[in-house]
Order: sequence, then C-alpha cells, then structure tokens
Amino acid sequence: MPDFWQFSSPTKVMFGKGLSIDFAVELEALGITSALLISDANLGKSGLLKPVADSIRENGIKVIGPFTDVPANSSLSAVKACADFAVKNNADGIIALGGGSVLDTAKAANILISHGGDLAKDYSGAQTIPGPLKPLIAIPTTAGTGSEVTQAAVILDTERGTKLSFYDQYLHPSIAILDPLLLKDIPPSLMAATGWDAFTHAIEAYTSLQSNPFSDELALPAVRLIKEAFIPAVTEPKNLDAKGQMLLAATLAGIAFDQAMVGVVHAMAHACGGLSRAHHGTLNFILLPHGMEYNMPVALEKYATLAKVLHVNPKLKKKKKLAHLSVKVIRKWQKKLHKVCNLPLKLRDVGIARDNLGLIAKKACEDGTSFYNPREVEETEILKTLERAW
Amino acid sequence: MPHFKSSEELKKILGGFFNILVSDEKIGTKLKESKLIIKFNYRHPDLSITVNCALPNAPITYNDSETKPEVEMFMDADTAHKFWLGEVNLVMAIARRQMAVKGPIPRILKLLPVIKPAYKMYKSYLA
Repeated sequence: MPDFWQFSSPTKVMFGKGLSIDFAVELEALGITSALLISDANLGKSGLLKPVADSIRENGIKVIGPFTDVPANSSLSAVKACADFAVKNNADGIIALGGGSVLDTAKAANILISHGGDLAKDYSGAQTIPGPLKPLIAIPTTAGTGSEVTQAAVILDTERGTKLSFYDQYLHPSIAILDPLLLKDIPPSLMAATGWDAFTHAIEAYTSLQSNPFSDELALPAVRLIKEAFIPAVTEPKNLDAKGQMLLAATLAGIAFDQAMVGVVHAMAHACGGLSRAHHGTLNFILLPHGMEYNMPVALEKYATLAKVLHVNPKLKKKKKLAHLSVKVIRKWQKKLHKVCNLPLKLRDVGIARDNLGLIAKKACEDGTSFYNPREVEETEILKTLERAW
Repeated sequence: MPHFKSSEELKKILGGFFNILVSDEKIGTKLKESKLIIKFNYRHPDLSITVNCALPNAPITYNDSETKPEVEMFMDADTAHKFWLGEVNLVMAIARRQMAVKGPIPRILKLLPVIKPAYKMYKSYLA
C-alpha cells in the first residue's frame, strides 16, 4: 500500500434493465434543459438512439443531435467537431451512449464546451482543467472500458500519430447509467474482448503499486462477478443477467483502476496497439497471463488471493501453488473463449511482426502504466515476455 | 510563509540547483539523453524555469517564452522545494492537484528514477 492514498468516486452509478430510456428525471435534477446526445454511426443505425432521445423529449428536455461522427479511436478533429456542434446549439449537458471511444469523445468535448481553448495544447496531461465541466451522463454499450466512472480520456492526435491522455478529477461523468438491455445484441467476440479488458483492469488494479484498501475492495468483487458471468455472457447471447453482471463488473473495475491505475499488461497492449488494429481488449486477452507471469515474483501473495476468488482448488493452502494456479485458470478461460469466438491467442495472429517486438518492448517501458506495475518494467525481460506471447 | 522570499531567490536557488543537475555526470547525461524540454511554472513567488535537454549543454532559461516545451509543470514554489527534498511524491501531488502537468506524463515519470539521487544532492546544496 502506498504511504498516501485517497479515494473519490463522484459519479452516481445507476443500474437497471431499461434505465437508458428512463433517466430524464436525472437530467432535470442536474439542471439540463438542452442535452447533446453523442454516439457513433453503428449505434445510430441500430435504432438504439431513438427511444433514448424520445424518452428525454417526453420530459420536456430538448435533445441536440445525435452527434454520431465518432471514429473507433476518437480523434482531436472528432472532438472539436462535436464541441463546436454542442456550442452552436447551446447544449447545457451531454449524454454519451456508446463504447469507450464515444465516452472519451464526450469527456474531451465537454472540456472544450465548458472552458473553450485548444484540446491538445491546453489540456493534454494531468489536472489541467480549470474548473467543473457541464453535466455528463455516460451510458456504456459494452462491458469493458469503465470510462463511465473514470477521470481519464484518450484521444488520438492523427497529425502526430500519438495518443493524448487527459487525466483530471473534473472528467468524472456526473452519472453512469448501466442498462443490461443495451448489451442484448452485442456480438460474442466483442463481449469477450471488452469483458477481458474489464478483467484485466480488475487484476492490474489489484496488484498495482497504487492499490489501496478501497480499490482492492472493488477489484476483487469485480473478479468474482466476472468469474461467474463471463462465459455465460459470451456463450448465451440472451442471458441478460450475465451481461448485467459483466456491466457491473466493468464499472467496479473501472472505479478500482481509476484510483489504483493499471500495469504491465496495459503497457504492452498500448505498445502493441500502435502496430496492430486489434481491439485493445483482444490485446489484453493475449497478454494477461504473460503479464501475470512477469509479475509473479513480486505479486505471489495477491495472486494467491486472486486464486481463492477464482475458486481454484479451495483446499489448497500453499500460496505459491495457488498463485500459479490463478494463471493456469485464466489460460483455461482463454482457450475456452478462443474456441467459442475465435479470439486470437498469440500476438502473431493480430498482425504483429516478430521483428517489431523489440520496439514494442521499448514502448511498453515508456508507457505511463509501467510506472504503477509492481515489478520494474525492464526492457530485456519484457522482450522475453513478448516473445512468449508471440 | 513561502520558503522562497522572492523570484530572484527562487531563481538563484532552484536555477542554481538545476545547473548542478544538468552538469552532473550521471544525472545530467541521462537528462540529456531524454532530450526533454521541460518548463517549470512556479507560483508564490512567480518564476518559470525551462530546462532544454534537447540542446547539447541543456541550457537553463528563465521566464522564457521563446522555447517551446514538450512538458510543462505547474506548482507552488514551496511544493517544488519539498519535491527536491524528497518529501513530495509526484504521483500523489498530481492526484491532489498540488501539481499539474501539460504534455505527455510518461516522459516525466520515466525521469523519476534518474533524479532519485538528486534529493540528497539538494539537501547538501542547501546546507
């Protein structure tokens, strides 16, 4: 545990089937009269947005948009276009319905809507926002990123080819609406990749150097929920209870890593993300057991606790064996998910060339998440880990 | 009461210390290898110090509006003083809004192990 830690999670979390078309009263309470609805083109076509917009209008609140011009990896230009659209139409609140990219776009656009300026020049970094933002309601349509409860956003600077991070307490959304019905038609492979992202958040938050008693108490229940619900949520598309549990787990893991940060698995996944078009969750899927093995010498005790949460051989008492079994169980899940929805098991399967592993190792060491990893992220050792994952 | 009584004093003490750091065989070499251009914006008293590690001798300039920094940090001069004494954890200071960072945070996180010996050096420098 660090010498000093603090815990604050100001986002109001609401959970319920059908809640995404029954939250207008919350907008009134926040003083919103004109709400900008942000989503993406696929969700726009899916028919999910109309009932949301209708339910808000029925309560006398103006709906601006929807603004759906949000790419898979949101960019500075998309954020600016979104903010300009909101300002032009006098939006006094934002509703973001979508995956991580939509939620991050809404957070970043909210900075410009509330305070103006140049996103990259004035706000990229940490604690740069001068004051509170307009109310933001985040409605995730995947169970993964946890962005609905975090103080971070990542936006692509397409000109420079770099991802800009924004970290500020004011970025916490006002409300997170968790509606399992929104995951009704999610493809199994996306459910698996995003769910694995949440799983990785929970495990890395738990073993992070910044973990604290509060984040641990969120990370472990997230793992417990994922253990129960992950496979049914992927293999039984109509199982909304399992999908709801995964949604809740992703949010719990989101709050946990918002406080505790993540580690080497994310560092490697971010570095691979620059060279592969694979989903971030898919990269975590490949890399998680390898990252855990990398951390094994320093995280034995925590992995042993994790094994108990995962219910691996409850009679077993030896910590070392338990810790190794936790990785073994995770590998079994990997194989099952690979079989069910063909998620790739190796980096070579997602377009990563072996020649690039050295570069990826270097970039992983430079990634900000490495700083919070319980074991020092050392280039030569990371390269060996990547070789094994390749 | 602020530790530094004037911008001049702050310039003399912290500026002087930065000159020692960039000239140090171990720390200076690593800082120059980073090629980072970093600007520290201090309040109470007000002063900005830019360390340009992209140039061979890593020149240090004051209230420099010409050099474009890659990373800018904002903090009270007292926080800076405590940081160099080794009494302030950077990550915590950011979380508590005692420090703000504009630009890529990993670039400065990466330098933390490099400057670790500087905390002792600062104490000796002040003595």
